[in-house]
Amino acid sequence: MVTRAQVLGLVERGRSYEEAAGDLGITAGQAYMIATGTPADGSMALTPEERVRPGVLPESTQRLSNPPHVNPTVKPEVLAWIRERAARDLAQG
Amino acid sequence: MGVKTFLESWPVYRQLTGTDPLGRGEAAMSKKTANLTSRNTEADRVVKSVCPYCAVGCGQNVYVKDDKVIQIEGDPDSPISRGRLCPKGSASLQLTTGDARGQEVLYRRPYGTEWERLDLETAMDMVADRVLKAREETFVWDTEDGERVRRTMGIASLGGATLDNEENYLIKKLFTSLGIVQVENQARVCHSSTVAALGTSFGRGGGTTYLQDLQNADCIVIEGSNFAEAHPVGFQWVMEAKARGAKVIHIDPRFSRTSALADIFVPIRAGTDIVWLGALINYVIENDKYFRDYVVNYTNAATLVSEDFQDTEDLGGVFSGLDEESHAYNTDSWQYAGVKATAASGSRDSQYDARTTSAAPDDEPAPGPHFDETLQHPRSVFQVLKRHYSRYTWEMVEEICGVPRDQFEQVAQVITDNSNRDRTTAFAYAVGWTQHTVGVQYIRTASILQLLLGNIGRPGGGILALRGHASIQGSSDIPTLFDLLPGYIPMPKAHLSQSLANFIQADKADKGYWANLDKYLISLLKAWWGPNATADNDYAFDYLPRITGSHSTYDTVLEQLKGHCKGYFLMGQNPAVGSANAKMQRLAMSNLEWLVVRDFSLIESATWWKDGPEIESGELRTEEQGTEVFFFPAASHTEKSGSFTNTNRLLQWRFAAVEPSGEARSDLWFMYHLGKRIRARLAGSTDERDRPVLDLTWDYPTEGSHDEPIGEAVLAEINGWGADGKPLSTYEDLKADGTTSCGAWIYCGVYKDGVNQAARRKPAKEQTWVSPEWAWAWPANRRTLYSRASADPDGNPWSDRKALVWWDEAQGRWTGHDTPDFPPTKSPHFRPGPDDTGVDAISGIDPFILQSDGKGWLYTPVGLIDGPMPTHYEPQESPFDNLLYKQQRNPVRRAVEDKNNRYAPSGDQPGSDVYPYVVTTYRVTEHFTAGGMTRWLPYLAELQPAMFVEVSPELAAERKLDNAGWATIVTARGAIEARVLVTDRMSPLRVGGRTMHQIGMPYHWGPNGVTTGDAFNELSSLSLDPNVHIQEVKALAADIRPGRRPRGAARLRYVEGFQQRAGITALTGQET
Repeated sequence: MVTRAQVLGLVERGRSYEEAAGDLGITAGQAYMIATGTPADGSMALTPEERVRPGVLPESTQRLSNPPHVNPTVKPEVLAWIRERAARDLAQG
Repeated sequence: MGVKTFLESWPVYRQLTGTDPLGRGEAAMSKKTANLTSRNTEADRVVKSVCPYCAVGCGQNVYVKDDKVIQIEGDPDSPISRGRLCPKGSASLQLTTGDARGQEVLYRRPYGTEWERLDLETAMDMVADRVLKAREETFVWDTEDGERVRRTMGIASLGGATLDNEENYLIKKLFTSLGIVQVENQARVCHSSTVAALGTSFGRGGGTTYLQDLQNADCIVIEGSNFAEAHPVGFQWVMEAKARGAKVIHIDPRFSRTSALADIFVPIRAGTDIVWLGALINYVIENDKYFRDYVVNYTNAATLVSEDFQDTEDLGGVFSGLDEESHAYNTDSWQYAGVKATAASGSRDSQYDARTTSAAPDDEPAPGPHFDETLQHPRSVFQVLKRHYSRYTWEMVEEICGVPRDQFEQVAQVITDNSNRDRTTAFAYAVGWTQHTVGVQYIRTASILQLLLGNIGRPGGGILALRGHASIQGSSDIPTLFDLLPGYIPMPKAHLSQSLANFIQADKADKGYWANLDKYLISLLKAWWGPNATADNDYAFDYLPRITGSHSTYDTVLEQLKGHCKGYFLMGQNPAVGSANAKMQRLAMSNLEWLVVRDFSLIESATWWKDGPEIESGELRTEEQGTEVFFFPAASHTEKSGSFTNTNRLLQWRFAAVEPSGEARSDLWFMYHLGKRIRARLAGSTDERDRPVLDLTWDYPTEGSHDEPIGEAVLAEINGWGADGKPLSTYEDLKADGTTSCGAWIYCGVYKDGVNQAARRKPAKEQTWVSPEWAWAWPANRRTLYSRASADPDGNPWSDRKALVWWDEAQGRWTGHDTPDFPPTKSPHFRPGPDDTGVDAISGIDPFILQSDGKGWLYTPVGLIDGPMPTHYEPQESPFDNLLYKQQRNPVRRAVEDKNNRYAPSGDQPGSDVYPYVVTTYRVTEHFTAGGMTRWLPYLAELQPAMFVEVSPELAAERKLDNAGWATIVTARGAIEARVLVTDRMSPLRVGGRTMHQIGMPYHWGPNGVTTGDAFNELSSLSLDPNVHIQEVKALAADIRPGRRPRGAARLRYVEGFQQRAGITALTGQET
């Protein structure tokens, strides 16, 4: 079983959790859980002490345990449609 | 199994032979545990979403595998919810994937006794045909007085407030083009009071602050809300404040989980909050506890009121201008002296004639001083206010509210101790305030108090309107409301020879951002009618139908009962149990020619013809009912893309995770394809009546196998664009010459740079507590409204501890933690010249930039029609006389005379003792509004399995009620039964020298679903606030008796027996 020391050792040497997990044959979420004692999906409310544990990342860590997120903020076909509408609607303004 | 395998399955063997000699790790792991995987491991993607229940707007992660939703969890990145979901949100997987959802269109033919199957395409065609037929039969061009209205009263719609902004936009756009004015939604019955109250007080009808900012408060007053149970995830910010040392005060008729977590709980008689808040105002003024610099500079305290104004002190409880015969005020005498203010909200058309004549009085202000910054002038707003509230004393609080003096003074001291330069107090309320015949004035009272204390526009201050539906704020902003166009532009009222110029002249302000009404309206008209809106035709202004008085959802019911309204769309709304006087709602529907119900399941509004209470009583017979009913299954929040606007005014985009199955479709799909069918049928028409719908811009791109309109395209139209084809960045760019298009000016910027700003999801951990890059808030991504007031007149923060925005002299602009809600480069020392108008006329010390004088209004000279200052009136039904005035009730409330809408006698009137108790209502955490999204879910039904009634041990003893037994509750309208919960949460109060009991009931139930029960609204009446036509359901007079209610026709006789004993007639309760 992978130990906390193993994961933290890799992370302290500059490996990301994804890379460390690959090295150790586990998932990135598991690596984060083992290293920090907190779930990577953010489902635990952390105490101030837990927030500064070794290995805890300051940013969101959902990516370590979740499949890819779908959240596109740009839709090219809408931009094209806007241009058409503007040309048609506002020409007579 | 070999020997080795057998041995290795033995933990002790593994412990002794492996690397885990203590047996605390791998050695102790069973095979079952070793094979466990995360429930989300199998998902192939996570789609970002938002919970569809209350308006906290909790972030959701929707886990999808093979185009199936397999799990829904809280999104820890959300700065609002931080990963948490309440029981409803946690059950939303069952809501979206459970087997209670209808998948097929159903049809009930006229006089039919059963549902029939109908395919979606045929049903859509039939609805399109019926819309056009009803419109044809009922279309009216002019009133009898010759005023152009161009409308139909033959069709109405009522939507839920969990529809997306984009859906509401298409509903309003299509129906308006057809001439339908009776377009309403849940916001009417829930928070319409908020819009008028906060709008007239501060300029905008939205809450002034946001949930996360509560953490900055030093004191939080929760009144008219069970915050912890109705908005549980949002309540974490109250607890965050408490953990930082804030005091939490809860004032409510019932002890709840909110009370349990408060520092001070104050039980109060339902219907008396204006006395309580008015006494706090009196305390603040009398004890010099008001924030003088704030009050003098940022409120209208120094403004002088007209000499013609007479207060309730002068006239026995009413204001000057009351016409008792018409139950209405002439509000002219309430104006300021010399200068006429215009309203940013509420009634904005009242000066139409004066402002559209050539010699408008605004052009020539009367001579003489109009302000007194010493606040000593007897006609200054401050002195008028002081006099008005002088009789609101702690003695009155004791006598009327049932709150002892020491408790009142304790609260007053805590609030005032926490309201100054260094400290702020926030108020949070919900429908415990809004749903009264004086609902608007409840909120106004708190607004006055917060202005006096200097708590508006400051961190940890403000007034938070706790909205209870995912997009109830959005459904007011993009209003499916009869009296509004998008962005709170008033729906035009009918006038003789009304032109666009006249409308703008009458409704715009001379100063502030409402002076730009022409830019907002013309850009809207361009969005709706595109190339067909030109300067030559007043930008198609005449395509808008006109309103003539109230066409609220309750007026629609009356129109239906009269037979004037023939067709009705219900989209995510269940008035058969969820609206006041449920019986009248059902009887009105039974008078329709056709009814369209779009929902998840067969709610009571879809089945009243088959199994409603009137069928059981014999008042209706299915075989004799001619109403044609269409049931369309609706798509869930995971099956459509769109935005909700939460209680923070925050637009949060959801992405469709999967396509809806069967014949379920989004309301966006329904409206778009209904519109296409209607336009196809009218193609080639030369009838002028059809021009608005034929000229409508209705060409949205579609996607997916169902041809779903692309939600982002609708959002982009709402945002607006310029002639260069680029999305606009701010409403400051809008023009009145037809060169900009914008569907809702307050949402302009949500598609800035071609980016869906509402879809932004920068994790909370990666930005400041304001989280400006999580979604987008109106206006202009400002999170705290009126934040100019967080700085002193010179532009410096009132204190370091309470800094939010401030003037940076070196840069010549406002800066700070939030986007300043003020013209960014306007110096605090700027003072306008006499000829400046519009935005230019905003002074450097005018934080309320939508107000026509730039100030917070302690006194409303215009905009409200039941008084310029809140005044205590007893509810429509009350066991008590009004001890403050001889005027018992709001003299201009709307009381409806109908045989099914009788009122109980009040106070000392004979018969009032027949209904001796006060009933109030509330939510439970596990159910939602009228139950359509929760009563069908087994998870939630198990958690809250039955309708119940809460009574005190004392009342239980008085009426011989047994805990867990049955009780019958009866009012002048109806009788229902519920399980009895005897609890100290309901405590008797000492009011008017005697003990009074209150009864608490949730309102979620109805006869359909997994958990069933009688609907509270069988008890309630149509008695309405005159400003916004919201119903009074928070304080009714009732009796309670042990045992179950009579069934069938015997139930009617039971109610009639009470009416006879009370001597109730058609005139009871109708007095002015």
